[in-house]
Amino acid sequence: MEYDTLKHRPPYPFATIGVAMAFSSSRLEDVLAEAKILAETCNARLLLIHIGEKTLAKENILNDILKRLGCNSMEIQIIWQQGNPVKTLLNICKQHLVDLLILRAKRREKGLSYYLGSVVRGLSRAAKCSLLLLTEPQVSGTSFRKIIVNGVQNPKTIPTIQTVNYFATHVGAREIIVVTESDQQGVAMAMAYDSTATQTTLVKERLSSQEAQQLHELVSLCGPCEIKVSEKIVTGRPGYAIRQYAEQANADLLVINSPDAKYGLIDRIFTHGMEYILENLPCNLLIVHSRVS
Amino acid sequence: MAKLTPDDLVILLLAISTMLLLSRFASELGRKVGLPIVMGELLVGIALGPTVLGTLSPTIYNTIFPFTTNAHVSLALDGLFSLAVIMLLFVAGLEIQLSQVIRQGRITVFAGLGSMILPFASGFAAAWFAPHWFNIAKSDHFLFALFLGTAMSISALPVIARILLDMKLFKTKVGMVIISSAIFNDLIGWLFFSFILSLAAEGTNDGAGGIVSTLVYIVAFSVFMLVIGRLLLNRILPWVQTRLSWPGGVLSLSLGFCLLCAAFTESIHIHAILGAFIAGIAIGDSVHLREEAREIMHQFVTNFFAPLFFVSIGLKVDFIQYFDGFIVAIVLLIACVGKVVGASLGARLGGMHWHHAMAVGFGLNARGAMEILLGSLAFQAGLIAQPIFVALVVMALVTSITSAPMIRYFIKERAVR
Repeated sequence: MEYDTLKHRPPYPFATIGVAMAFSSSRLEDVLAEAKILAETCNARLLLIHIGEKTLAKENILNDILKRLGCNSMEIQIIWQQGNPVKTLLNICKQHLVDLLILRAKRREKGLSYYLGSVVRGLSRAAKCSLLLLTEPQVSGTSFRKIIVNGVQNPKTIPTIQTVNYFATHVGAREIIVVTESDQQGVAMAMAYDSTATQTTLVKERLSSQEAQQLHELVSLCGPCEIKVSEKIVTGRPGYAIRQYAEQANADLLVINSPDAKYGLIDRIFTHGMEYILENLPCNLLIVHSRVS
Repeated sequence: MAKLTPDDLVILLLAISTMLLLSRFASELGRKVGLPIVMGELLVGIALGPTVLGTLSPTIYNTIFPFTTNAHVSLALDGLFSLAVIMLLFVAGLEIQLSQVIRQGRITVFAGLGSMILPFASGFAAAWFAPHWFNIAKSDHFLFALFLGTAMSISALPVIARILLDMKLFKTKVGMVIISSAIFNDLIGWLFFSFILSLAAEGTNDGAGGIVSTLVYIVAFSVFMLVIGRLLLNRILPWVQTRLSWPGGVLSLSLGFCLLCAAFTESIHIHAILGAFIAGIAIGDSVHLREEAREIMHQFVTNFFAPLFFVSIGLKVDFIQYFDGFIVAIVLLIACVGKVVGASLGARLGGMHWHHAMAVGFGLNARGAMEILLGSLAFQAGLIAQPIFVALVVMALVTSITSAPMIRYFIKERAVR
């Protein structure tokens, strides 16, 4: 019954916000502060989840932090559970109908840990709810002024952009840029044999204008938004191009669809799509699980 | 050290310039009427070779292309043609994006497998059960059967990409499935073909041990280069492209790396084409390789080495003498039926609508220059005789010309319904 509810649930509003707590992290207070601010802004219930042993020391640390953050009046539920971090977190999110799970993420997973998979990366590849990966959480709260959304041609994109509109309105964003990546792989090879310079230019322009038109249609299908929404085409490999653009544009938040299939080790070796972003986070990342099959 | 005399050098340069200039002229004429560029190059080769010039004026033919009368020039030309093959395989590899196959998912897997298994099985079965159709002795038809199966299953990525671009289908679902399946076909096809060439060079006398060791070498080299080699290149390329002269730095690195890999595979008794092909994949798959660098490599190879290579085919083979209508018909039939049925069935099983699945089948049926390259290498290795090579060339041209109208027909049919 609960699963059915979760399956047909729209990706927004964020009625329940979960936070994955790691007591080993020095940024626990920052993450909790961010979650508290978001929960207040979205009028959401807060679920604090720790996968690990429940000890008195940990309880004391948590109580101190919650006291300092002034969480006394909020609706907060704390869950302590042991088990495999990724699987257990996924189960808890499913059981408690979590709409958004907040995690602290390193910008870059070094060496083998990227290939073997950290908890954060593991969740990103498999979560059944939206995830917010914060690279630099702050007690005062991150300002999400400039939001970049991946406007890939996919049935999930419209709910994703609508979720961004909802999120951006609540956090007071100034600008949303919907970006399409134009991958021109194969064009050089196809045009090398028997094309004039004019033909090559025309083909490239035609591909770009097709993509611009598709992007425009996609954005117009998402309905009105109170915040300024602009469109942008970037050239390059999907995943990599938008990561580069988010870095160059100093974005505060990059938003992408949840993956269509579960990513595994082979996707990390032959990197593509979301893996380029997870490999090296350009900024905070929101992965919207739109629950569209 | 043996040296070219000034007269030898004059002849060599004359031969190269004749091939380049005439093939460009013929290709431009062909382009005006919508014929594949490779057709113009082949026709120039036929006109300059034993078929026409060699018959009409043997003296001029033997002066410009003294394959039998001047060992020095013949050797120099042979070296140039070998380099051309290596470069062609290198740029073919440049466009193989492994991630593209992975991210396209179910339909590509089905279409890719269908477009390989059925053509391979039909080619292999025809050669195995009816070697007399191809004038092959029953005793040595195993390698030939393997070759024919492989020749039926590869595709021509450059031709396919161009057809899709011209038809504005490049970025559509059908287009992406065709491209990804062609990548899959080429990857497996060329890896397997290098295995066959190694067997042909060493003979199958070493028994199962020899076959297994050849397979192990190919797999080990490919996996090493595509995993470790790619990672290293991903680290080196950004540095090369920003710190060294542009585009000189990246061109030297890429071409040097290609030749190094080709030399390595040749030295371990696997054909040099494998090294060049895998080097192309390792470099081309990198997100750090700038599009301009890729374009320069394509332009250089396709406008210098490709014409020389395709003209050289006509120079070496008498297309009229060795044209066997029966063999041509058989090869054409097996190639088209196997590929179209296999790929369409695969795409349909993958979930594609029947009309689009047929468009995928005809899209992958285009063999183009890659089939001619494959046939030429097999001919040089002694795997096939001239009539079969001629049949493969005809098949490559026919499938390339018919592909676009057939795709158009099935896409229109789908739109109408």
